[in-house]
Amino acid sequence: MKLKRFLLRYYPPGIILEYEKGGALRTKSIDLLDLSPDTDVEELISEIRRTEPLITASRIDQVKQLVRRLQEKLGQQENRRFYLFKALQAHILPLTNVAFNKSGSSFITGSYDRTCKIWDTVSGEELHTLEGHRNVVYAIAFNNPYGDKIATGSFDKTCKLWSAETGKCYHTFRGHTAEIVCLAFNPQSTMVATGSMDTTAKLWDIQTGEEIATLTGHSAEIISLSFNTVGDRLVTGSFDHTVSLWDVSSARRIHTLIGHRGEISSVQFNWDCSLIATGSMDKTCKVWDARSGKCVATLAGHEDEVLDVCFDLTGQLIATASADGTGRVYSAASGECTARLEGHEGEISKICFNPQGSRVLTASADKTARLWDVASGVCLQVLEGHTDEIFSSAFNYEGDTIITGSKDNTCRIWR
Amino acid sequence: MGLLSILRKLKSTPDQEVRILLLGLDNGGKTTLLKQLASEDISHITPTQGFNIKSVQSQGFKLNVWDIGGQRKIRPYWRNYFENTDVLIYVIDSADRKRFEETGQELAELLDEEKLSGVPVLIFANKQDLLTAAPASEIAEGLNLHTIRDRLWQIQSCSALTGEGIQDGMNWVCKSVNSKKK
Repeated sequence: MKLKRFLLRYYPPGIILEYEKGGALRTKSIDLLDLSPDTDVEELISEIRRTEPLITASRIDQVKQLVRRLQEKLGQQENRRFYLFKALQAHILPLTNVAFNKSGSSFITGSYDRTCKIWDTVSGEELHTLEGHRNVVYAIAFNNPYGDKIATGSFDKTCKLWSAETGKCYHTFRGHTAEIVCLAFNPQSTMVATGSMDTTAKLWDIQTGEEIATLTGHSAEIISLSFNTVGDRLVTGSFDHTVSLWDVSSARRIHTLIGHRGEISSVQFNWDCSLIATGSMDKTCKVWDARSGKCVATLAGHEDEVLDVCFDLTGQLIATASADGTGRVYSAASGECTARLEGHEGEISKICFNPQGSRVLTASADKTARLWDVASGVCLQVLEGHTDEIFSSAFNYEGDTIITGSKDNTCRIWR
Repeated sequence: MGLLSILRKLKSTPDQEVRILLLGLDNGGKTTLLKQLASEDISHITPTQGFNIKSVQSQGFKLNVWDIGGQRKIRPYWRNYFENTDVLIYVIDSADRKRFEETGQELAELLDEEKLSGVPVLIFANKQDLLTAAPASEIAEGLNLHTIRDRLWQIQSCSALTGEGIQDGMNWVCKSVNSKKK
């Protein structure tokens, strides 16, 4: 094994090692999820040396520099105020979901008008319209970090794979017998997983366009799914009140997570793949041990259905959005509620952290998106202007641009 | 409402829930009718660019009513909403005689749709509060409603503005669902 070079990853903090093994170039990452500006660098380095043989004595100074660079980045105080940069008359019917590519240079919008559009973030110009679906384009994704492909899942029961550069359709994945409502690329970008109202999830090969496997076992609609960071596990959440954990290579179910007393609304892994967070109509969020499948915490407090949940990128915090109009932030380790996000005048349908983990963004039926300080729970900004409810919102990787998609047929860029 | 609630209202519904599709040309009064049904303020209604969904209780049923915009350029998208429809309500502006032919054509096309085959249809002859409104009988004749043989149908004169006739129409909806669902 020979170390070739280092790459820095800001969010979540980590150092990527590019090395040679048996003539092939490989990468692995040293995750520094607990890193803070106050972390003792010497101590950290000796810990890294104990566990990572590729870091030899001659590399220490270099690694030290990288860690300091990360600490510097973490120490930067982002007190940006967002303003409306552009309101795009994006579609002729309501938008569904929105998503950025990794660099944030472009983003995509799905719509009831059966199209998905690719937009240039800086100019607000439309780059491509992806046409071909015969019904609502509901679920959309870039194959991040690569960003050269887009997958769209439609109420027409098909999923399509597109070139992000040319807008050309590579494949149409056919096989589901009801609406596709969620999808994801695996981190290696070799397959797409789709979840459907037909109660199954399917895995598709990006190269050949063929179906790899059908994941059967749920007894009601699959509404949310997500790969873990490694890409060897997939979690699915269903209206049947259960969550399933699947082994990707064998397509077999490893665990059924039973405990929620209502439909599942949202499922997600944390970065180190140890935990799964699930939101439910039973007004709670549950945290599960991904290895054992046991529930390790029930995050209660909301007075109505939990509609969305997410981890911050380091996996230390969980944010929940509820039909009660409030959001909450919890510690993933202790399950303690650390902040309440109160102020919206309608249900909150989407919630996400900025990549830095210092801000939370919420999208609401009250036609506003709001920006919150994670530590204090104080509302920093109300993003006003949409004339109907906001269905989706997203941060770019730098955390300095926000997009919101609304039932009012427009998409807004905030910077 | 949010996307998740839309998914929940999308799935095939249990016995006590009814999915109603509200269609018709633009400016026919669909949204006013929807708001009237939900007992909401009807003084500031603008052309629907997408859709509105409301749930109302009636005779032991939960009626999930989907009001879909009727402007010409978005009519091709009506079929986005056909799946799992229990009852179709078609709204006609009874005073807009110039567009009777157009509205008749749209209705005929809907009745030809495979996904709506056998779905009971209620036609609201709306805007009866206007002096120039054609009576329901005249509209029924003009649209050849008597030739409909493949489903239950009914025409009901009403005014979405005053609320007159709406309850009678909804009673028919519940009755026709009853005979189908139970």
